[in-house]
Amino acid sequence: MNERKSAILTIVFLSSVILIFTAADLIQGDRLFSETENKLLASRPKFTWEALFQGKYTEDYEKYLTDQFVGREKWITIKTCTDITLGRQEINGVYLGKDNYLIERHLPETYSLVQEIKKISLLENLVQTWDADVMLVPTADNILTDKLPVNAPCYDQVSFLERVEQQVGAEHYVDVYTILRQHAEEEIYYRTDHHWTTLGAFYGYQAWAQARGGSEGKYDSAAMETITEEFLGTLHSKVNLNLRPDAIRYFPETVSRPLKVTYDLKTVRESCYEESYLETKNKYGFFLDDNHGIVEIETDYHNGKTLFVIKDSYANCFIPLLIPDYEKIYVMDLRYFNGRLFQFMKSCEPEEGMDVLVLYNCIHFLDNFTYLE
Amino acid sequence: MVFSSTVFLFRFLPLFFMAYYLVPGRMKNFILFLGSLFFYAWGEPVYVLLMLFSTIVDYTHGRLLERFRGKKAAGYILVSSVVINLSVLCFFKYADFLIQTVNLFVGLSLPAPNLPLPIGISFYTFQTMSYTIDVYRGETKVQKNLLDFGVYVTMFPQLIAGPIVKYRDVEGRLHHRRAALTEISEGMKRFCVGLAKKVLIANNIGELWALISGMDFREISVLTAWLGIFAFAFQIYFDFSGYSDMAIGMGKMLGFSFPENFNYPYISGSVTEFWRRWHISLGSWFREYVYIPLGGNRKGLPRQLLNIFAVWLLTGIWHGAGWNFLLWGLWFAAALVLEKAFLGRMLSWLPKGVGIFYTAFVVLAGWVLFALDTPAGIVNYFRAMFGMAGAVIDREGLYLGREYLVLFVIAVLASLPLFGRLAARLRKARTGLGIAVYSLGEKAIPAALLLLAIAGIVEATYNPFLYFRF
Repeated sequence: MNERKSAILTIVFLSSVILIFTAADLIQGDRLFSETENKLLASRPKFTWEALFQGKYTEDYEKYLTDQFVGREKWITIKTCTDITLGRQEINGVYLGKDNYLIERHLPETYSLVQEIKKISLLENLVQTWDADVMLVPTADNILTDKLPVNAPCYDQVSFLERVEQQVGAEHYVDVYTILRQHAEEEIYYRTDHHWTTLGAFYGYQAWAQARGGSEGKYDSAAMETITEEFLGTLHSKVNLNLRPDAIRYFPETVSRPLKVTYDLKTVRESCYEESYLETKNKYGFFLDDNHGIVEIETDYHNGKTLFVIKDSYANCFIPLLIPDYEKIYVMDLRYFNGRLFQFMKSCEPEEGMDVLVLYNCIHFLDNFTYLE
Repeated sequence: MVFSSTVFLFRFLPLFFMAYYLVPGRMKNFILFLGSLFFYAWGEPVYVLLMLFSTIVDYTHGRLLERFRGKKAAGYILVSSVVINLSVLCFFKYADFLIQTVNLFVGLSLPAPNLPLPIGISFYTFQTMSYTIDVYRGETKVQKNLLDFGVYVTMFPQLIAGPIVKYRDVEGRLHHRRAALTEISEGMKRFCVGLAKKVLIANNIGELWALISGMDFREISVLTAWLGIFAFAFQIYFDFSGYSDMAIGMGKMLGFSFPENFNYPYISGSVTEFWRRWHISLGSWFREYVYIPLGGNRKGLPRQLLNIFAVWLLTGIWHGAGWNFLLWGLWFAAALVLEKAFLGRMLSWLPKGVGIFYTAFVVLAGWVLFALDTPAGIVNYFRAMFGMAGAVIDREGLYLGREYLVLFVIAVLASLPLFGRLAARLRKARTGLGIAVYSLGEKAIPAALLLLAIAGIVEATYNPFLYFRF
């Protein structure tokens, strides 16, 4: 009799785990977007016989069910905590570094020599044609090496950068690696996001100014102002742990004079910062209104100089620092541009010529850098 | 549909079992049959017809065998059934492989049909064949009820990844059964344990194998290569035995008692013993329907060796249409033959540890053949394992070893009969404390495992289905 009672208890206990979550899941409505994960969630697939016979309907339905599952974020946190209990130091492609740093993982085998050479020769062509400067920023795993787990594999960007410098020529190459390494102990990368911080960009700016023979003392990092202390970035979304948020800062000099910023040739703003993003998860979008195909900045520094930047999102917090140096800055993100690049650049170029800068982080460069002449 | 998915756990499972327990006795088979068809059609909306075709073919052949029992026609009917079953299996599973092989050797370029393999076809074809053969031999009675027979073939718990349930194993309970409350609770616990084995151990350690198998084998260190193949060994064991546990558990919840499929294979002291503990239902199927009919060990040593090779060639190719699976089968045949000849006797003189070590070596080398499907991949992997490629130890290997150390320890402990013995001992406890600990543990542990497994399923970065080639 006792055994029977115990069996009933077991049955009630285990089946209620399943039944409670089934019921809760059925009651709960669908969401479009997961803020914490920073991703669009799958929505209920439309039933068609064709989709069913191709097996696509059931596949989409399973994805939908899993994405919309009740308490999804909580489950992911449980999974992450289990992994950490099991001694894992890497979760979902993110290293859990020292000092609460999350560092994106880039495996050596992901990037082949062939791919490096292909991208570098594409870059070389651009540099030769336009006399461009090249700034390739290493990602955190190559700079914050002391914060990585012991022996953690990472793609070596140093030898890649050496190849770039050799190929494009030292006079076109801005060495960002060395200065970032010198300041590796400072907060030059966000702890919860894959971007460099404004301080990191400031050191990048110093390297750039130095390479161009200009002064490097235009900004004072102590004067930076904090716009938010609630930033939980893309890497946080991947591990979903309870972490101290990052602060986002900017240099007050960059807002001291009037500005005209035109996004995608239509939307006009008076600042290169968009405070509305601070209310969202994607707070890094504060810089240059997130990503646009083409941004045109007209400054109040009437020195007659024009700059054309070809860039990724790393440049977004860097470009404001260039405002005092140029009267006009064109910013191009090749991911959102389908035309012929050189043709477009010619249409922007004033008679007295313009400077051209290529600014990417090494990984985005290898993944995304491509253009049609 | 696979067990380790939200759609199974939170839609199919609750709905099906509620319906199954609520309807009166005679309706249960109908619900089970419908549920199973839905389960299969979810992943195979077209091939569900093929499964029904198989069902009807073997049902009819069974009835015909009954009618012509003792007559010469019975032999032809059996042959007809075996031919149809094997043709279907060959067509869907081996056509591409055969055509490619012919093309390779004869220099032709015949077009391959390139059909996707119907999931579970090897399992249910073997089940239906066991039925007709047993009816022919008079070892089991014919099933006259088409629904009952349909339930046997299509039953969802063991449909896509075994165990291979012989007809006579479930015959007695096929028409009418009642699951006792203790059976249901045992079944539920078994299901949770199986799900945890699959999601918590196999999926996690499988990530390590997925990582290493994607590397360039000409550059990896000895340490990394061995970590990789150990990871695969644990992945396939916990995945496969986890599936079997879930199948057996749900079988119990339905009122069936399926045969055990795994019995701590990694503690085996010889390869012979390993195959008595690994995928038991397949080994016993081949023994009963191939090895013994071929004469087994009763027709002299040369014939026995030939039989062993024949059976293991088939066992190999059963796991997938590829040369590497053939090699894998032959590798075990060689080890088994050597053990029959002298190695087995030698091992019995030595301490058990030596046997376990030797078996682990043979099995791990086998997994290299099993897991990698290109000749270059296999050769390079072996070279890496034996230090003919990269360094002995490198930073990558050290990092991965450190990263997965705890999981490896858990996998090793769970491969030993420790927990099972502990539970059995506690269960027999007579003291109040022992009873309390057991009574609490048998509920709390499966529930905790279930919750952790759900977290793994919802997160779903790596949740592969390994038997799509079987």
